[in-house]
Amino acid sequence: MSFEPKIVGFLCNWCTYAGADLAGTSRIQYPPNMRPIRVMCSGAVDSVYILRALLEGADGVFIGGCHPGDCHYVSGNYKTRRRMVLFNSIMRSLGLDEGRVLVRWISAAEGKKFADTVTELTERLRQLGPSPFRHLWEV
Amino acid sequence: MAASVFIKVLTDNPQQTLRGIYARWLKTGELSALLVPAVSATGVAAPVLFSDPEKVAMVSPLLPVMAVNSASIVAEIAAERATETRVGVVLRPCEMRAVVELIKLQQIVRENLVLIGIDCPGTYLPAVLGPELVEDRGKLDEWVIEFVSGQDRYFEDERLRSACQMCEFPTSLVADLKIGFLGLNVRERLLLSPVSEAGSRLVAGLETEPAAENIPERSGYLDRFVQSRKSRAEQRIADFDRVGLGPENLVRYFARCLNCHNCMKVCPVCYCRECFFESDVFQREQDEYVRRSKRKGLNRMPAGTLLFHLTRMNHMMTSCVQCGICEDSCPAGIGLSVLFKKVARNAQAAFDYLSGRSLDEPLPLTTFREDEFREIGEE
Repeated sequence: MSFEPKIVGFLCNWCTYAGADLAGTSRIQYPPNMRPIRVMCSGAVDSVYILRALLEGADGVFIGGCHPGDCHYVSGNYKTRRRMVLFNSIMRSLGLDEGRVLVRWISAAEGKKFADTVTELTERLRQLGPSPFRHLWEV
Repeated sequence: MAASVFIKVLTDNPQQTLRGIYARWLKTGELSALLVPAVSATGVAAPVLFSDPEKVAMVSPLLPVMAVNSASIVAEIAAERATETRVGVVLRPCEMRAVVELIKLQQIVRENLVLIGIDCPGTYLPAVLGPELVEDRGKLDEWVIEFVSGQDRYFEDERLRSACQMCEFPTSLVADLKIGFLGLNVRERLLLSPVSEAGSRLVAGLETEPAAENIPERSGYLDRFVQSRKSRAEQRIADFDRVGLGPENLVRYFARCLNCHNCMKVCPVCYCRECFFESDVFQREQDEYVRRSKRKGLNRMPAGTLLFHLTRMNHMMTSCVQCGICEDSCPAGIGLSVLFKKVARNAQAAFDYLSGRSLDEPLPLTTFREDEFREIGEE
């Protein structure tokens, strides 16, 4: 059986989740590899959620938020952005930076962009193969 | 703001000179108490909150021993606004940097305190103090003075705490008053540099001689010191990179973790009253443990140690001062200081930030600009 990546997606309630809805109602086809979790804001996605998904066997994590300037809570996504700079820096310093975590700003009107993004991440993870933490039970 | 001054050391003993100054600050009422290192008759080396000038003999101002990061103590003492007292805290550079972070994290009320930064060439673990040193106060002083006048010998001392061997901050960055001795003959004179009004008040009334703005023997010495420590840090990071990078290596690096959370408890900048990792979130029922086990077939217990460490890094790394007290507290002997040295340096550089450098720089995760980090989120 060929490898199918599992992706955990954190979608902001106001933009990306609505974008995902639009992709659905517009009947745009995209890979079924992502398990979406609706959060009130991408700024609410603490690093612990990303790390836990990765360490417990997810092959990739997606975080979707409103475009900069469009945050329902004014500045949540700017904080997401800084938090992800820190997250990426730490992962890079430890040699864990494999490109398994993707952040994208996707508005409620961008159903096509949502579908394309999931397709892009799924393709990337198919190339990368399973996350090494899938089988590392000693974490 | 007054200029730097020299204070003369009498009887070749800078420990005694500083004891005199500390006792004087208490006698004049300038300070209500002082947080300073001391060694008890039983051999306990620890910071003490010192308020009775009669007891000054116990104080060991230049003691090169680090048992805790005193910033944690300062946070305990100065969590709320004081109405009647003013405490002077004499801190090593790494402790001062942690205090600066804690002030910005609103864990310390700065107005209660007079911040006194003292040079630090490095420290040992408390075990270095054998009975022969604690039984004879004169011998202890001589050992301390021998160490602080050691000059180039600090560079190569492998018995120093490993964080100290890699430390490039021998002097305090932020303070009301700085006490300097590196690069000077400590048996002759010490340098006092008041930075604020509060610092100037401490120096006023002491018998001093003016010091030049730049003291070539001191600045030259500090340059060599920093260079040496930096290259040691590079070496150690390269050693870590050979064994610690990537998922498998990192799992091995943390393999002995007992999940005791000591590293978090002693960390000065890990300031949460209740850690997320000690909350109910991690209380599970047997059925849930089994369900989780089935995901990989077997789960190492205690579970979630790497999750704890990686999350802790994400929560505190921009404020990490690399004091290495986490490593000292680790019963499993995990080499945390080199790891935090590397990770913190890179993380802080990403935001052009340096923990403890300034009270005015906002914490990286409490601020943002609209036009930055476009590489995140955009195609």
